Amino acid sequence: MVVKQEGVVVAINFKIRASFLYAFCGLFFLSLTTLAQDSEGVYKKRVLESTEVDLLMGYYQQDGNNAAVSGGIGNEALTDVVPTIVVSVPLNADDILIVDASISAYTSASSSNINPFDSKETADPYIASTGASGGDIWFNTTITYSHASDDRNTLWSGSFSTSNEFDYSSIGVGGSFTKLFNEKNTEVSIHSKYYFDTWRAIYPYELRQFDGGGPAFTVQNNNVIYTSNFKQFQDESRTTLLVGASFSQILSKRAQIAFMYDYTQQEGLLSTPFQRVYFQDKADFFIGDFQLADDVERLPNQRAKHALGARLNYYVNEHLVIRSFYRYYYDDWGILSHTLQFDLPIKIGMNYTLYPSYRYYIQSAADYFAPYEAHLSTASFYTSDYDLSDYQANQFGLGIKYTDPLLQKSISVFKLKTLFFKTHLYKRVSGLEAMLFTFGASLVLEP
Amino acid sequence: MKRTPLVILSLLLLFLASCTVVKEYEKVYVNDPDMELSNQKIDRFETTFQSYREAASGANGGKTGGGCGCN
Repeated sequence: MVVKQEGVVVAINFKIRASFLYAFCGLFFLSLTTLAQDSEGVYKKRVLESTEVDLLMGYYQQDGNNAAVSGGIGNEALTDVVPTIVVSVPLNADDILIVDASISAYTSASSSNINPFDSKETADPYIASTGASGGDIWFNTTITYSHASDDRNTLWSGSFSTSNEFDYSSIGVGGSFTKLFNEKNTEVSIHSKYYFDTWRAIYPYELRQFDGGGPAFTVQNNNVIYTSNFKQFQDESRTTLLVGASFSQILSKRAQIAFMYDYTQQEGLLSTPFQRVYFQDKADFFIGDFQLADDVERLPNQRAKHALGARLNYYVNEHLVIRSFYRYYYDDWGILSHTLQFDLPIKIGMNYTLYPSYRYYIQSAADYFAPYEAHLSTASFYTSDYDLSDYQANQFGLGIKYTDPLLQKSISVFKLKTLFFKTHLYKRVSGLEAMLFTFGASLVLEP
Repeated sequence: MKRTPLVILSLLLLFLASCTVVKEYEKVYVNDPDMELSNQKIDRFETTFQSYREAASGANGGKTGGGCGCN
């Protein structure tokens, strides 16, 4: 029976990969057709007039007391700074090359407690350790090539991305194909991405002695010696396949709508190897105030996600636009969620726009989630990561944009197009609070 | 029965595609940058942190892979 089920799973995976291959062959064929059509010598406006540079910066900080690294309790304070540069270069009238590079530098109290015993302070899940695991740097580069047909009714793009951090690396390829109809009132698009990721798994310090040859030490509780059935993960790869489609339609001179669907299939190591789990049916052991792990989280090695979204934008008048978004999501881990967001761009004069926004999010818990000390050791899958718990969250945002439509201000060889600043406050009902500050400057190379 | 949502969606798309055609010279409002049906570049940080903190992702132009999202 098990063999039969595995056979079915293999067949389904083969079908998905075959579909992915067919989709890319189709995109390639359509792109050749498009290139052939472009050979006619007609006047056309350039897709991008001049090289554009976007300088972006994100600063994120959060605080809460449900750290997954310490089994659902403990400090989860985190700060993250992400400088980013995006350079868009017009190669000719039809083609654009986009190079996108980001660096994310973070410090995390919970990550620091992968090894809570490497500082002079008493180990405590509510206090960040000062050891080496408390921060990391993530690098990402994405290169995208896009092409538009002469009549600008057919667009396609291909992308390649790579990212790396201390314990994780990723390579991604993607593509999209877009067709406009009906005097550009209707747009249909398909897109796909495939990520090949590899963990270099790091485990909680105290578990390494049971598998992997970490330093051994003895801890007792009422003459019972600390032990665990912990085993390292054998497969450290993860693949993610995303296939999506969108449909957008101009409804009137002032309104337009879009529907989006994304299907994501993940396989491989979907657990985070350094997130602890404490079982209710196992004795508790401590060093200082820090409880030693019974195991790390164990999650299925497959996950299928479905997301269906809709956007409706309405131009009220020259001072106000209403932007709305709704998403319905479910996956085969038992999570179901709803997202609702409103942005109200308010134009103040020629140059300034305010961006107040509100977002509501609700999700049900994954089948494998339980809080601190609530799991049983007999279960096959378990996690105490509160990102997989049931919760509601409210997000309030405010931003301001400066636009210079006449490009009158110069910075070196660039003209300033827009300046953007936004801030968001994110509050989970269960306690997590986060602030996000973002800054962006769009520059255009002088012709 | 399972095909009902698909049929409804198809009919909805057909209905939307048959809306009155807005000519190019009438698109001054829908061409406003704030009317775009995609996110702005600066919104990438917002969608990325949401995809890390929330189980749901996709269908919004946000990140759906390329990192562990484990911090």
